[in-house]
Amino acid sequence: MSRFIPMLFVLCLAYPHVAHADVVDETAIDKQVRAIAKTLRCTVCQTENIWESGAPLARQMRDAIRERVLRGESAGAIRAYFQSRYGDYIMMEPPKHGINWLIWLAPFLLLFGGGLLLWREINGWVTRTPAPRPDVPPLDEASRRRIRQDMEPPEV
Amino acid sequence: MTRVTQVTILIVLVILFALLYQGLWGDPHRIPTVLVGTRAPLFEGPDVETGASLSSSQFAGKVILVNFWASWCQECKVEHDNLLRLYEDFRDHPDFVMLGINYQDEVEDARAYLKERGSGFAHMRDVKGTLAIAFGVYGVPETFVIDKAGLIRHKRIGPIVGDAYTQLTKHVLTPLLNDANPVL
Repeated sequence: MSRFIPMLFVLCLAYPHVAHADVVDETAIDKQVRAIAKTLRCTVCQTENIWESGAPLARQMRDAIRERVLRGESAGAIRAYFQSRYGDYIMMEPPKHGINWLIWLAPFLLLFGGGLLLWREINGWVTRTPAPRPDVPPLDEASRRRIRQDMEPPEV
Repeated sequence: MTRVTQVTILIVLVILFALLYQGLWGDPHRIPTVLVGTRAPLFEGPDVETGASLSSSQFAGKVILVNFWASWCQECKVEHDNLLRLYEDFRDHPDFVMLGINYQDEVEDARAYLKERGSGFAHMRDVKGTLAIAFGVYGVPETFVIDKAGLIRHKRIGPIVGDAYTQLTKHVLTPLLNDANPVL
């Protein structure tokens, strides 16, 4: 019994190391598959990339990517393969060519157009605000006093 | 605000609403494919019913109708009788081949489906889904027509029913079997 208690103590101390001994890290292949899969759209769920999607097609696409990575194909070649099968639609980030430029530039163009419109409107308001007429004499002290009195709250 | 500015804003808004409408309520069956006009991928796999190996090289020089299907797919059930009828109509043509490709399915379920509903033509299993990816398949059913030169000439997403059946048989298969261009 006298030996058992120290042994139990040592085992308790060693437990966290034993419990974490089987934790594994991603392999280089896993990292490549993840990097590529995150750039491709799940074609059946549409708002997710194929790395995050649980759809069977996305799983098969991940497996296909893994096979190609293991064969030594580059990330660019694998993306190009999927693009050749599904078109630009499969790319999470639309390639910058042709009509796709509209997607990239439209937010800036709309922001610029909106800003220009706003600037013109505000400028118009300022321009339309009448400037003080030089032929109107400034208020005399009696008029100022009367206005101040008019603006004071009435006595109850 | 000038009249020109007002008209410009109106035009931009109409375009934005048209794009929004297309995105939200457009027909998903009309997703444009990049594969029409390109060479069909080479493929091989086991026959669903016999397990024997099937390969696209067996059908070289023929017009091949490839139909992706699955036993769990409701729209595949809708089009199945039409596919059998289509096969009956064209099977005697020496240059016609029809091939079903079973997609994301259990082989027992696929066999039971064919036994129950009938199967006049060969069906291949896409075991790892690589064939579906090679054909750029989004879901089932999808149908492709490959011409004698091995080029994909037609793709249909969705069941072959109604106008799609007429389009496929009269305007795609018949011209291709007569060495003419399909009327698309």
